[in-house]
Amino acid sequence: MRKTMTGLLAGIGLMWACGSSAQAQELTIFWAEWDPANYLQELANEYEAQTGVKVTVETTPWADFQTKAFTEFNAKGSAYDMVVGDSQWIGAASEAGHYVDLTDFFNKHKLNEVMAPATVKYYAEYPSNSKKYWSIPAEGDAVGWSYRKDWFEDPKEMEAFKAKYGYDLAPPKTWAEMRDIAEFFHRPGEKRYGIAIYTDNSYDGLVMGVENAMFSYGGELGDYQSYKVDGIINSEKNVKALEMYRELYGFTPPGWAKTFFVENNQAITENLAAMSMNYFAFFPALVNEASNPNAKVTGFFANPAGPGGEQFAALGGQGISVISYSDNQEEAMKFLEWFIKDETQKRWAELGGYTASAKVLESPEFQNATPYNKAFYETMFKVKDFWATPEYAELLIQMNQRIYPFVTAGQGTAKEALDSLAADWKATFDKYGRNK
Amino acid sequence: MATAVMTSLDTKSRSASRGMSDIRIRNLFIIPTILFLIVFNIFPLIYSLGYSFTDFRASSNAPANFVGLQNYRALLNDPFIWLNFAITAKYVIISVTGQVIVGFGTAMLLNRDIPLKGLLTTLLLLPMMLSMAVVGLFWKLLYDPSFGIINYTFGLGSFEWLSNPDMALYAVAITDIWMWSPFVMLLSLAGLSAVPKHLYEAAAIDRAGPFYTFFRITLPLVAPILMIAIIFRTMEAFKTFDLAYILTSQPTTEVISIRLYKMAFQEWQTGRSCALAYIVLIMVLAITNIYVKYLNKVKER
Amino acid sequence: MAAVQTRSERALNRIAIAAVLVITLIFLAPIYWITATAFKPRNLATTIPPTVLFEPEISPFVKLFTKRSQLREAPAPEEYAAAPWWERMVFDGGEKIVRSGRGEVQPSGYPNRFMNSLIVAITSTVLAVGMGTFTAYGFSRFRVKGEADLLFFILSTRMLPPVVVAIPMFLMYRVVGLNDTHWGLIILYTAFNLSFSVWLMKGFIDEIPKEYEEAALVDGYTRMQAFFKIVIPEAATGIAATAVFCFITAWNEYAFALIMTNRRAQTAPPFIPSQVGSGLPDWTVIAAGTFLFLLPVAIFTFLLRNHLLRGMSFGAIRK
Repeated sequence: MRKTMTGLLAGIGLMWACGSSAQAQELTIFWAEWDPANYLQELANEYEAQTGVKVTVETTPWADFQTKAFTEFNAKGSAYDMVVGDSQWIGAASEAGHYVDLTDFFNKHKLNEVMAPATVKYYAEYPSNSKKYWSIPAEGDAVGWSYRKDWFEDPKEMEAFKAKYGYDLAPPKTWAEMRDIAEFFHRPGEKRYGIAIYTDNSYDGLVMGVENAMFSYGGELGDYQSYKVDGIINSEKNVKALEMYRELYGFTPPGWAKTFFVENNQAITENLAAMSMNYFAFFPALVNEASNPNAKVTGFFANPAGPGGEQFAALGGQGISVISYSDNQEEAMKFLEWFIKDETQKRWAELGGYTASAKVLESPEFQNATPYNKAFYETMFKVKDFWATPEYAELLIQMNQRIYPFVTAGQGTAKEALDSLAADWKATFDKYGRNK
Repeated sequence: MATAVMTSLDTKSRSASRGMSDIRIRNLFIIPTILFLIVFNIFPLIYSLGYSFTDFRASSNAPANFVGLQNYRALLNDPFIWLNFAITAKYVIISVTGQVIVGFGTAMLLNRDIPLKGLLTTLLLLPMMLSMAVVGLFWKLLYDPSFGIINYTFGLGSFEWLSNPDMALYAVAITDIWMWSPFVMLLSLAGLSAVPKHLYEAAAIDRAGPFYTFFRITLPLVAPILMIAIIFRTMEAFKTFDLAYILTSQPTTEVISIRLYKMAFQEWQTGRSCALAYIVLIMVLAITNIYVKYLNKVKER
Repeated sequence: MAAVQTRSERALNRIAIAAVLVITLIFLAPIYWITATAFKPRNLATTIPPTVLFEPEISPFVKLFTKRSQLREAPAPEEYAAAPWWERMVFDGGEKIVRSGRGEVQPSGYPNRFMNSLIVAITSTVLAVGMGTFTAYGFSRFRVKGEADLLFFILSTRMLPPVVVAIPMFLMYRVVGLNDTHWGLIILYTAFNLSFSVWLMKGFIDEIPKEYEEAALVDGYTRMQAFFKIVIPEAATGIAATAVFCFITAWNEYAFALIMTNRRAQTAPPFIPSQVGSGLPDWTVIAAGTFLFLLPVAIFTFLLRNHLLRGMSFGAIRK
């Protein structure tokens, strides 16, 4: 008995020693679990080859990325040196002192001019127009659409569509066309459905999806300077947009009530839907024949326009920030200096990352590299984003609480949902003394 | 508490003269555990009781302000919170009822001469030993409307288990029933095997019908142990977090633990979440009290 | 029962046996499905009708232990030919293994989390069972004023919902820097299991006749010697059973681990759901991770089978 005990304890001691070894020349970057994180790891490997500093990209699934990151920040933990954090986090993270102020770094390297304007505005600056910067735009992203070219180009389908709707079947230019196409392809009897949209209410999936409709319909979430929301979030345009989203939900595959990027890619690979909403960053899996048997017949289009001809998309993507509790801030800054170099940004794009560098985005090599890069380039100049105030997490939960039952279960009306949301948001802003 | 322990000693123990006295040994054996539990269980609760009267947010650097009972008042007037409690109650009822029916039923079947009974029982007990979070995740695949084996096996087409708001809570409960019916079965089997055989023999001689035998002999004698299983499962179902959190994010499955988690670690309303934690705590302690009374009662038999 | 069975009784028995078999099959189906999926090629994991017969592969395990990324173009033939068999498996799945700047294969997060689970579960079990045995002996052999209340107090600490306890613990750990450390989790799990171990061990020690120690005391042993030389060996089976229960509880725990750990000390339960992968979930990898994680518990369940009842009822019911 005693011998086994000693053996056991010795074993534990050994594991302890292995588990907690830490070297000085190491940096850890925290990001969500997706392909760009792997590309960043590859990029960081080249940094290691050049400098000997080992950089590890740690990931966690999107659904709990925010929770994990803020739990770590609020625990004032030093597990991570940098984070590639969502655009809406900047307010919360900068006001609470989680992020290192990068304004000087930004000005020194004139990143204002180097990076695409939308990425500077939404990923780096807080508060709006304050010229204070908290992160380096790293991964540009926005929502786009994939579709089944073979279904769209089938002559029989084209003929039937024309006969039914009076215009040619093609990737939709407006949300109204998209609705028609979704309805047209929605055939539950054949296990084929019209469209795949975001409905996950655990983080920002559903909200992102609805934003795509609202922004293109000409709506806004509120006035980001004065914090006025009543009459803006519940405007007539937004009501129409939300009703459209609810209508599209009727053409989704069965079980489409908690879906995000994974399910929406599956909709294409498993032959479930004709069209599918997703971030551009998830499209690599769709052009890869090993993961998408339909890779050859998958096409892409940008978020369609609304009835007024306006065309916007919801912003995804992240900037990279230095965490103020890190013990390796100097090393982290050195890494960032390397990261913003033109060659690095070019390499980053080659590896599959969505650089925010304007010069690289504009280059023909980038635009022709994949079937969707051009759509991405165009979209990045017409994006809008969610609130970035420190209380954005509460705003997000309130929006989910109000619109989810309407979109997925048809409870109440769009107007009621948005009116209640306006009241919730106003109460939240009052609580934090935003709208004086 | 510690002083109370020290004064109640039997000083005339035989070994008191040699080595350590029994008082010292007893104190040495008991007090560290009590202290450990006070430091790591009771002290944190006192700490959070303090915060429950403030507007503290662990996500900001602002100091905590005393707000009196405002958090408790706001919580008890929040319709969403009441909804969370109602969902929890519904979940407890569905899940525990299901476990009792399946578990007790299986125990009745097993309580006869069945070949390989020991092996079968052990196999049946496997689910409850597994990690809820890890196995729960896998049930997502089993429930999948397009390629899940549940719909395929039972010919349900593309029935929506998790995404239909009315069905999701039942789906979570079914997984819970799968995991924990074995527990009810295990305890029921113990109860059933303790029923003296001669009672059945006497009933047979009296030509009593199976219903009479079941309701007049089996059930009353198994009831105390079955009650333990029911109270224990009620308590556990009330606390449920892992399964519901991993399987769905429907508003209709947001049990109170999930709401509490979101309030504390997503919205960072630390003060208010401490208040909610206290409301939950009091409810759990009430159920625990009943449970322990039953445990002791059964032990005395 | 009586040797003479009527025909209807025999028929009834047969129906019961059939029913038990069906129930057992239903209960084991999900576990079988996890195991089967862990050895499937990826394209057979989500087919309709479900694939039951297939040639088992170990590629899910290769993927489980390595960090991978999407291939955007097929590997060059010479690169493919030069790759070891396990790397080819990953290539065949349309992915490549991520290598460090020095060309080393990067492990996935899994081995590290598995190790953390072992460290935390074993250490907390040793502590909880160790302290629990002493305390149980104290309660079993000495008169303690307010014993019932103290035992209730000890038990009630285990009954609290984890999220309720996690909020203040998070705040306290933040002050002392125990968040995301092995010790942070070990302390929590020890506290959680300690009450259980006291209750269970008290039952086991109560069963050891007091006369054994008294005889030893007469022979000149001190109370301490009697405890270590007589009581502990007599209680060995009970200690082992208690330890296995504590280990399983700590091994399976999710909520505390989710909240209190992040990168350094994260255990497997909050990590495995994060294997959902990039772009498309690879259920075979999730199944492989789940399978390895469940394996020790399944083995322990068989070893423990005679003690399950006692453990699950906090020692109140014995066979």
